[in-house]
Formats: sequence, structure tokens, C-alpha cells
Amino acid sequence: MNIAEFFFLLVLLLSVAGAVISALAPAQWTGRILAICGTSAATALLIAAAIILAGHESIRVDLWRLPVRGMLRLRVDSVSAFFMLALGISFLPAYWFSDGYMRRYLAHYDPRSFNIFFHLLLAACALVLAAGDVISFLLAWRIMSGLATFPITLEHRQDENRRASYLFLAMNEAGIIISTVGLLWMVALAGGHTGFNALHGSLRHISPAARWAIFLIVFFGFSVKAGLIPLSSWLPQAHPVAPANMSAIMSGCLLNFGIYGIVRFDAIILPPISAGPGLVVLVVGALSALIGILYATIDNDMKKMLAHSSIENLGIIAANVGMGMVFTAYHLPVLAAIAYVVAMYHMINHSAYKTLLFIAAGAIDQQTGTRDMNQLGGLLKRMPMLAALFLVGALAIAALPPLNGFVSEWLTLQTILRSEEFTSHFSRVVFALCGAGLALTAALAVTCFVKAFAMSFLGPAHSEKASRALEPAKSARISMAILALACILLGIGPTWVIPTINRAMKPLAANLAANALVPPFFSHPHGNKDFSPGFMHDFAHIGAGIGRNIIPARGLVVLHQGGKSNPVVYAMSTFYMVGVLALIIFTTWLFVRWGTRRRTITISEPWAGGLRRLAPDMTYSATGFSNPVRVIFRSIFGPAIREDSSTAVAGHFRTAISKQRDDGYIVDRLFLRPLTATVNYAAKLLAKIHKPGMVNAYAAWVLAVLLVILVINRLL
Amino acid sequence: MNQPLNHIDQQIPIALRDELGDRVSGIVELESGLLLAAVCRADALPSAVAWLVEQRKYRFATLVVQALPSGDQLDYWFYKPDNGPWVKLSVRLSSDAREVPSVSEQVHAVDWHERQAEDLFGLVFTGHPKLGDFVLHEEWPEGINPMRPEFNVFKPMVEKEVDPQWRPEKILHTPGAFLMPIGPVYSDYAESAQFFLETVGEDVVRMIPRFFFKYRGVERLAEGRSVREVLLMVERFSGTSAVAHATAFCRSVESIGQVAIPPRAEALRLVAAELERIRHHFGLLSDMCHSTGMIVPSADIDIMEEEALRLSAQWAGHRYLYGLIAPGGMARDFSQSDMALLIAQVSRLADDARLLYERLQFTSSFLDRFEGVGVVPNTNAQRLGLVGPIARASDFKTDLRVHAPYGLYRQCPLEAEALESEGDGYARIRVLFAEVFSSVELINKAMANLPTGAVITPVEAVVAGEALGSVEAPKGAAFHFVRMGGDGRVARLQMATPSFTNWHGFHLAAENFAFQDFPIMMASFGLSIAESDR
Amino acid sequence: MFGWFLRGAGSRVKTTRYPPEFDSNVGISPGRPIATQFASSQEADNAAVQCPTQAITAHDNMADINVSRCVHCMACSHGEAAMKWQNDYDWATLSGAGASTTTRPFKKSLHIRLVDSGSCDAVIQEIKQLAKPYYNMHKLGFFITPTPRHADVLMVAGPVTSHMRLALKKTYDAMPGPKWVLAVGNCAISGCVFAPSFMAAGTVSSVIPVDVQVPGCPPPPLAILHGLLVLTGRAQEAPPHVTTTIAEVPL
Repeated sequence: MNIAEFFFLLVLLLSVAGAVISALAPAQWTGRILAICGTSAATALLIAAAIILAGHESIRVDLWRLPVRGMLRLRVDSVSAFFMLALGISFLPAYWFSDGYMRRYLAHYDPRSFNIFFHLLLAACALVLAAGDVISFLLAWRIMSGLATFPITLEHRQDENRRASYLFLAMNEAGIIISTVGLLWMVALAGGHTGFNALHGSLRHISPAARWAIFLIVFFGFSVKAGLIPLSSWLPQAHPVAPANMSAIMSGCLLNFGIYGIVRFDAIILPPISAGPGLVVLVVGALSALIGILYATIDNDMKKMLAHSSIENLGIIAANVGMGMVFTAYHLPVLAAIAYVVAMYHMINHSAYKTLLFIAAGAIDQQTGTRDMNQLGGLLKRMPMLAALFLVGALAIAALPPLNGFVSEWLTLQTILRSEEFTSHFSRVVFALCGAGLALTAALAVTCFVKAFAMSFLGPAHSEKASRALEPAKSARISMAILALACILLGIGPTWVIPTINRAMKPLAANLAANALVPPFFSHPHGNKDFSPGFMHDFAHIGAGIGRNIIPARGLVVLHQGGKSNPVVYAMSTFYMVGVLALIIFTTWLFVRWGTRRRTITISEPWAGGLRRLAPDMTYSATGFSNPVRVIFRSIFGPAIREDSSTAVAGHFRTAISKQRDDGYIVDRLFLRPLTATVNYAAKLLAKIHKPGMVNAYAAWVLAVLLVILVINRLL
Repeated sequence: MNQPLNHIDQQIPIALRDELGDRVSGIVELESGLLLAAVCRADALPSAVAWLVEQRKYRFATLVVQALPSGDQLDYWFYKPDNGPWVKLSVRLSSDAREVPSVSEQVHAVDWHERQAEDLFGLVFTGHPKLGDFVLHEEWPEGINPMRPEFNVFKPMVEKEVDPQWRPEKILHTPGAFLMPIGPVYSDYAESAQFFLETVGEDVVRMIPRFFFKYRGVERLAEGRSVREVLLMVERFSGTSAVAHATAFCRSVESIGQVAIPPRAEALRLVAAELERIRHHFGLLSDMCHSTGMIVPSADIDIMEEEALRLSAQWAGHRYLYGLIAPGGMARDFSQSDMALLIAQVSRLADDARLLYERLQFTSSFLDRFEGVGVVPNTNAQRLGLVGPIARASDFKTDLRVHAPYGLYRQCPLEAEALESEGDGYARIRVLFAEVFSSVELINKAMANLPTGAVITPVEAVVAGEALGSVEAPKGAAFHFVRMGGDGRVARLQMATPSFTNWHGFHLAAENFAFQDFPIMMASFGLSIAESDR
Repeated sequence: MFGWFLRGAGSRVKTTRYPPEFDSNVGISPGRPIATQFASSQEADNAAVQCPTQAITAHDNMADINVSRCVHCMACSHGEAAMKWQNDYDWATLSGAGASTTTRPFKKSLHIRLVDSGSCDAVIQEIKQLAKPYYNMHKLGFFITPTPRHADVLMVAGPVTSHMRLALKKTYDAMPGPKWVLAVGNCAISGCVFAPSFMAAGTVSSVIPVDVQVPGCPPPPLAILHGLLVLTGRAQEAPPHVTTTIAEVPL
């Protein structure tokens, strides 16, 4: 047993131990147990992942041979290890946060069962990533999905929660069934091999039709888990009702498993040979991003808003994966490598800031009793620490430099522009449209999180409880601080992060992305041989070489490094940016300070046009802030007017105007509801044909089904 | 009302007796049949008023409340657009009674008059759904009513401790709705008033106005003062329509004193009133152009407005024509050259305006902002009893110069009332321009055969009495009720101003509009707070 | 649109040359009575009696005028005891406890917030005229601003009604220092015809310190402009008025 395996075993043992202790210990200890056992398990996982990523060791364990065929194997390659890293980044703070957070449930619920499942969830997640063959993967996936359902229903006495968890269960089960079919079909086509490596080798020569079919089945099966359109209905319902630590896990890492499945099976094991599958993923990703952010912008429930924004972020990740697949199919390995690396970059970013924001939302909920942004406001003064940490998360998710969201979104948008390399006009058009969609998404994300921050933390408090809120427990602040630090580090250090991710994504990216994105401009003593010395000189002369001898690494991220004929470089450096920003802010501060040194500063109340008293309900509400978006995209939201009435005395004196409307979820409207209607209709039709109690009829049905299966088997 | 009309509807007195039966008593015909006064039983008031307005097509003019020693008396004044006799329904309360049935459900135009009387006299209008916080804001102490005789006019008001939780009544129930407060200190040059916009973001569903920030108590201050002193206030409470209000007040005083003013004065009054109308309309049009950011046309109109102001000062000494109207006629006469100057200048201004109007009609970026903005449908205009250019833009005939002509307007009638049917901002612009042109015509017509002679009939000792003077002010119909005490001093002054009437309509017209249209709507209504608040 | 451009470019310059030149156009000011010597003390008394606002006081055969009470009612402009009238407009004076002129940085750029505390609308129209082509105060560096946060000068018109008192104070408090106050119109200076009263404080100076008073009812645009020049200490840029006493108005 090597060290990596030791730590991996430790993860499993600690999780189980946590579950056992939770079952035996009194309910009051719940949070503390999670904080101790869970955090150590997550730490062990991070160590194991780091060891494997560093390239020293890997995990190769054969468990036992199955009676039918194949063997259960644990194989952790660098891809899995990278996903484990994201897992740990999300789980560690979420466990730590539980310490103070779980107290709020003690009065009404017994959180012990929640605790048991929450502990085991980490082990199950780790096992999914460690699975080295289809059978153990499916087994672990099964267990993980099942375990994830229970923590959502902690507040099981509320109808909304029960409904949401049933929906979660039903849609995820459907996803598992679909992907199981796909995976087993793969195994069948591969002649019974179940190991991932063996599958990859033996599936090389299957027919294009089978490729397409497997791709579609596997992709849509896993896209349920990733919450991509059109299978995302469960997400905005299930994420908000779970306790905040569970929501953080669901958004921060469970969604990643969908991406893991798609990357593992659709990109690594069965790499695309035509552009089609990649374009499908890209379009689905871009649409998810746009729809996700639109709904996030208009939603005033903070957790629901974050859930919708998860759809957006997973959409961006999927779009990158799709781009990678298209680039692969067009034999552009460098671009493909970049796209995959960016996908993974965005994924780990999302894990960091979304966990942070969900924890913040949970803490706000705990301290104020509401998640409705119309009821919040003025929290900056009440909880400055939380506000600062939330602001880091909000700036990161809104993709503002120099934070991590900016790096991955900048790379995403730059990568999508590289469709100029294609010869196919169709692909170009698709890329252009998706690029426009993603750009709009990025803009709306800023609106969305400006609203979230402004309406919750600025202005006057819109409710009594919000005006009396206090800072959350230390555990919440520490866990958020860890994540905020991660956001900042991931933001200012892309030149370290990109090579790491590239190493992790070796099966897909070789070493191409790191070389392309982070060229050794300044570390190489004689410059890069791809560029003429004159260009290098000019380039250094205009200031790009400033950090050459100061910063102990390459500071720039370069997207298009041009060629000899066109030495245009699109480059970006959050590292330098931080320096420059700090300098600008500091000098401005000095300047202002100097200029106003003799001034006295008086603080007066806000100017409200001489109004006698400015009440909180005379300032913008969250609904009001996002109303322009609601109006512009009316056709997407398809609001159902529930009430639009006005009453008046004697036809003159208006006494009440009531307007109630529900913004419908476009996915439900266009996909889920027609689907259920069709299924219901078909079921009714079958029920009509089917005559109960007739043995002959049953026999005939069995025969017919058998025939159909035989025919299909023959055809394939 | 001091000269008989041509055709008086003789049916009205008979109908009044027949139809209202025992509800009214003491029907008298005053001023040679021009005014029917009747005393109405308080409980029968709503039905009597409803009959008058719905069956007989009467229009509400003003509600005059008088705190007499014998008890409060409420006079509801009505007029008929087609030269019918005016009707005054009086309700007399016993000395300690304060309750009157509200008629604002039957005649919506009475709404604000009742709210005003509730604040100022402490009357209770039973059945009125919305009383309180109107003229007197929340800092005014409860139970003290400034128009009651025992109130000390010269003692400064002591503010009451206000409730920090007080809010205007919100009626919009929708998630995330909020009030957007505007004012009282807002915009560049706006007069002080407050508007709460009930909104959920972009679209304003409804507006809650709060006026009377500028309430100076002119009507209360006038009590016990001489006619000369009151005239100063009447001119100055709303400086942009000084001539109109001074004329209305003087006409009341002349009517009480039975003074016939010389024909030359009548003609000069018409000239002054129309000159004021021209200048006033230029001001409104300039505001409208400003509100849409049309720099050049607004500068054009600004130049015309200033030239009209200079012309006024050159002609009559004062830029806003203060001190021109006097009880009994005009305070001064004009020479032939003065009048020639006026005609020449006014014609030139009219030509400039015509040119501008033609250009504006072809500027789509201007018209787009006004078309369909702040629409007042004809039914609403009737229901709210709107007056002036706003009513006429909704095809509601209200011009007193036509429908209840006074002074020289009888001999020298307005050719045609400017009417438009859309009721939107653009219709109001067309009405304003048309009125400018018709005013110029009127001036020319009046000057064509300007009578000679004196310009003032000295008003000797004014006897006790009461009268209602009406004029068509630039913003619409204005009614001044004056009661003179026997000592030659004003005992009661009540002014129903067009802005007061029309603001009532504005806040109902301002529903379901886009927030960025608010300044344009305000400009296109062009109402004065000073005139409304008094 | 282009037509409007041509129209704008083609118009003559209308703007007044004041300052530095004295503007002697007809109709820019209603003028006001000035101290007049009469033949007898009886005539002076008559002149005082005819004033409805007690703006004229008689000393022997001199009739003095209290500018801040004169409302240009024209009663003393004609008749037997007519006062001398003068068609000037440089009436503004430094006044009261607050009285101070602006410091150097504000000489050429001054932002003004207007508060209507119960004015008659005519005075607001006259202030509006200042920003319009004929007076164009922008050329002198004076600007109206919608928020007191940007304002250096508070221009107050009206007798300060009790409902506006709080708003006026709040506006004054919302202004950053250094700040100055300009009381425009007689009702802002003395309450004029609306004071004493239960609703009006009567004077702006009883609520906030006033630096410059601009009398007039309403003060014509040039008088207000003169007030601003007095405030910025630039009144000497404009020449003293040429005495253009107008003759008695014919009656």
C-alpha cells in the first residue's frame, strides 16, 4: 500500500467512522462530529489527490472478481484525482461550516440521520471517482445517488422539501438508468471488457451510428446529474430546500459528477471522430448557461438564485467540453487541450465560489431567517466579515478580474473565437451563436450578482430581522475565508494552475495546453524560438517583460500567440493586474488623502429629495432591480398571470391593485410537461389495448417483446 | 353674471321644483334669473347633486364652505355649459353639526373639495373613502382647523411630534413592489410637491401625490382685509396667471357692489388676459420641449416667452402684468402707440410660433415622446370634471369664454374652442398652439374697435354680499367666491383654481406608465403647484 | 434634425451683454420706486399712504422706500403723489448674519440648487429664464444642479411655508460646505404679502442663514443674476446702472 492508497483508505474509514459516531452520539453533537470527522476525511482526500496529481503515485487496487464477468477495480488516474481535488475543496469547508450551522435544526428535527448520510456521501463520491471499471463505477454511482437523496429531506415535514426530493430522486434515477444502458452497451460492444483502459482500446472501431447512439445516451444520462438543459428541472427545486451545507455540496461537487461522466465516457473512452457530438454538447452547454443565468437574475430567493446560477456554470463547463470534443474531431489538438483545461479550470472555480456563496446564503438564512432578497438589505453594516467574503465570491462568479471566474470565462470566450480555424461553415456559425450566448451570459452574471450583493448587503434593511442580524458563527467565517482564499489564488495564479490541470488532463490534453497558454516567454533565457528576436524585444519593450526578473514564474496567460507572419498576442495576466490595481488604488488613495488632508468630513443622512423619512420600502427592491430583465426576456419566462385586479369604491377611489404572476420555468414548459403528457397518453393508450386477466394476451406481449429484442440484437 | 344671458333654460327652475320635490326648499332666482339658489336637505344632497349632474348635465364649479355664526353653510355651485342658469345648492348645518354626506361618489370632481374642507373646517364627509392628510400634513396638530373663525391667523403653527412609522397608503399588492419617492425638492426648477410612484421596477403602476407643501393659507389670510390688500395676494399667489385671478376676484367684488365697468376696461381686460395666455402657453410649450431634450425648439420658445414678458413690461410696466387689473376696471390706460406696439409684437410672436409649430409637427423624435403619453380619455375628463387645455385635448368642451362668456367675450366671441380627441401629450400641444393663435385673433378683434372713455368705474363703499366670479384662466376655469362683510372688508374668499381641479385628474391619469415618461407627463400637463396649493 | 441644427445656428445672438455692459433693453425689469422728494410733507404722506404694503415711509417731504417690502404694484407710479421710478435691476445686497461672499475657487464656477418654499411660480419662471438664451447664466459659470450634494449655493424662493421648512433645512444640511444662501424675491426676504401668518415663517433667514438678498416681486432675471454676482464678489464687473428714471406713466 502506497501513501496515496493509505490516505484514500483513511477517507473511507473516517467517513464510516463519522457515520457510526453520529448514529451513537447525541443529536447536539451533530455539527461538531461533522466538523471533526468530515473535515479530516476531506483533508485526507485532498492529500491523496495532491499526491497523485504531483505524479508520484497512483491508486491501483483490484478488489474482487465478479461471478459473471469482469473485476471490481479501483484505479485513480490523474483525471479522477483532479475531480477529487474539486470534491475536497467543496467538502472540506462544507463540513467545517456544519459545526455552527446544524444547530438551527436541533429544535425541530433530529439531524442524526442527516449526519450519517452526509458522512457516507463523501466516501461514496470518492469511490465513484476511484472506480476503474464500468461495473464498480455504476455500483458506486448508484450508492452515491441514493445517499444524496436523504440529506435533502432533513426538513421532511415540509411539503416543498418532500416534493423536491422526490423529483430529485426520480430524475436522477432516470439518468442512472439511461447511462447504465449506455455503459452496458459499450461493454457489450467492447466484447465484455469492463475496465476503462480496455474499453478505450476495444471501442476504437465501432460503427459511427453506434458511436452516435452511445454518445447521445451517455451524454443525456449524465447531463441529468450535471443539471444541463433540458434535464435541469430538479435542480432549482432540490438545491434550495436542502440544508445549506448539503446545497453547497450539491452545487459545488455533485454536479461535477455529470461532467466527470461525460468527460470519462464521451471524451476519454470514446473520443469523438466527428464534430456532431461536440456541437451538441456545446449548444446544450451554451443554452444551459443562458437560461440558467436568466432565471438566476430574476429570482429573489438567494439559494434558488444560486441554484440557477449553477446551471449556468455547468453550462459553461459543458460548453468547453463540447468545444474540446469539436476541436478533437477537427484534429486541432492544441485547441482541444485548451478547451478541456479551461473546462476543468472553470469547474474547480465553480466548486470554490459556489460552495462559498451557498455557505454565505446558509449563514444569512440562519442569522436573518429569510433568503428572500426583498426582505434583506443593510447586512454590510451588521455582518461586515460575511459581506466581504460574499463580495469575493460574487465578484468571482461575476467573472470580474482579478478573480478566478474571470480567468476561466476569459479563456472560454477567447477559445470560442478560435473557430476561425474550422473549414466547416456550419460549425463556425454554431460557435459564433454559442459565443454570443456565452457573452450575454457573462454580462447577465454581473447584473445578477450586483443585484445579489446590493439588495442583500447595501441600502436599508427591508425586514425587522435583517436589521438585527449578527455575524455568523466562526466556523462559517473560517470555511468561507478558506474558499475566498482559494478564489483569489486560483484567480491570480493561472500560470501555476493551468500546467497543473494540464498534467491532470494528460489523457486528453497531452502537454499541449500548458505550452500554448503559458509559453515560456520570460523564463526562457533566449526567448521563444517560435518568435523572431525582434518581436520578442518589442514585446518585452512595451512592458510585457516587467515581471521577468521579479515574479518567480511566467506571469502571462496567452491565448493566441500568433505565428511568424502575424505575431499578435492576446494575453492576459491577473497576476500583473493585481499589482497594477493595487498600485492604482494605493496612489489614488494617497492622492485623495493628500488633496483632502485639510478637509473635515461630515457624514449626513442620504439625500432623498427633502423627504421627511426615507423608509426601506421607498428604496429599490430586488424584484425592481431585475425587472428590466424580466420585461425584456418576457417570452422566455412566459409569466402566468395569476391575478390582475383592481378594486375601487364607486368606480373612482382605487383601493387595491393586485398583481400576481408566476414566472414559468421554460424547461418545464417546453420539455418536461409535454413529455409527461405524452407518457401519460401512451400509458392510457396501452391500458386501453391491454385487457386484464387474459393469459393469451400476456403471452403474446412477451413474444412480441422478445421478437423486437432479437431483431435489434441482429441489426447491431 | 352681471349682464343677462341671451338664452336661459327656463325649464330648470320648474324641473328643480318638480323633480327634487321636498328635497330642496327656498328656491330663488337671483341676478335676473342667472342664478338659482336652493337650500337642500343634508341627507338629500347626494341624490339632488346626482340628478343635477346626470339628468341636467350640469357641471360642478366649486364647493364653498362658510363658517357662519348660525352654523356652517356649504354651497355647491354648478354651471351649465350651454348658457343655463347657474345653480347653487346650499346645505345649512346647525351650529355644532359637522357631518355632511359625501357626494364625491356621485360627482367625482367634488372629491378634493371635500378633502380640503375636511382639513380646513373640520367637517366630516360621511361616506368619503379617503379623508385626512391632504392640505394639512401629518405634522399639523389634530383637531385644529385653520379656517374656523376662532383660529388665530397670526400665531405660527406649532408642529406636532410625527409618527416615524407613518407611510402613505400603498394599494399595489405584488411581490417586490415599492414606492419611489420624488420630491418635495427634486429636479432642476420643479415646484415643491411630492409624488410616490408605486412600482415594481420599470413600470409605474400608480402615483400617490402629496400636495400643499406650498400652502400659504391665502384664503384665510384674506379674511378681514381690504379689497386692495387681498387683490395683491390674489395676483401673487400664482404669478403666472395673475391677470386671470385678479379679474375673477374683481368680477366678484364688482358683482357684489353692482358696479358696471366701462367698455374700454372690458376690452383691455380681454387684451391683458389673452396676452397672459399667450405668454403662459409659451412657457408650457418650452417645458415640453425641454422634457424631451429638444434644445433648439425649446430655445426658440424660450426666446418667444422672454419677448412676451418684455412686451408685457413694456406695455403695462410689469413682466407678469401685476397691478393692472383693479376693482371697477383697469388700473391704468394705454395710449394709441402702446396698443399699436402690442398688436405689432403679438402678431410677430404669433408668426414665430406658427413657424415653430410647423417644424415641430415634422420632428418625429419629438412627437414620438408625446404620442400616447399621459392619455386622459374623454370619459375620465368628464368624470373628473377637468378644465382648460387638458380637458379640451380630450374633446371635453370646457372653455368658459365660450360656454359662460363674460366681459367682452360676449360681444367678441372666441371663433372656435380648440378641441382635440386623443387626450395624449401631442393633443395637448396642438391645443396649446391653437389657443395661442386664437388669442392673437381675439386681441386683434378687441383692438379693432377699442371703445374710448374711462377705464375705471370707482368702486364706492362696497356693500355686504356674496358673488362667484369666474374666468377662463390660462390653465382653465377659475372660480372666485367672495363674501364681503359690511365693513368693506373681505369676509370670505374661496378660490377654485384650474390647477387644483386638474391635479386631481392628473394623479388618476398617471397610471401604468414607464418611469422615464414621468417628466414628459408632468410637462405635458403643465400644472402649477402654486395655483393649486394657494 | 438637421433643420433644427440650421435653425439653431442661424439665430442671432440674443444673450444679454450684462455683465460687463449694462443692459438697457425695455421690459427686462419692472423697475421700482426710489426715494423721492416732494414739495410738501403732506404730499409725502400721501405717497406713503397709497402703498398697500407699507413700503413707503415719509420723513418731512421725503418719501423713503423699503425695497424689501415693495411688490411693484404700480400704485405709486402714477397719480398726484407719484414716486420716481427707476428701471434698474442691481438690487441685490449682502445681508444678515450669514453674509459672506464666495471664496476664490467658486468665483467662476458655481452650482446652484433651487428650493421652492412656497413661491408664486413666477419667480421660478424668472430663475428658469436665467438658463435660457436671453440670459444664459452658464456663460458666467453659474449652473443649476438637481441635487444639493453638488450645490454650492442654495437659492430659496417663497415665504417658507411650514410644510416646506423641514425640506428646506434638510436640503441645506445635505449641501457640503462651504455653502451660501440666496434669498430670491420679497416673500423670501420679508414674507411680503403672505406674512405674518400661521403657515409662513416669513423669512428664509429665520430658518437658515442668508448671505444675499435679491428683492423684487418677482425679481427679474437680471436682478437674480446680479445677486449671484454680488455673492461671488463680481458685482464690480458690471457697471453701476445708468440712471434711467422713467417718466410718470400716463393715465
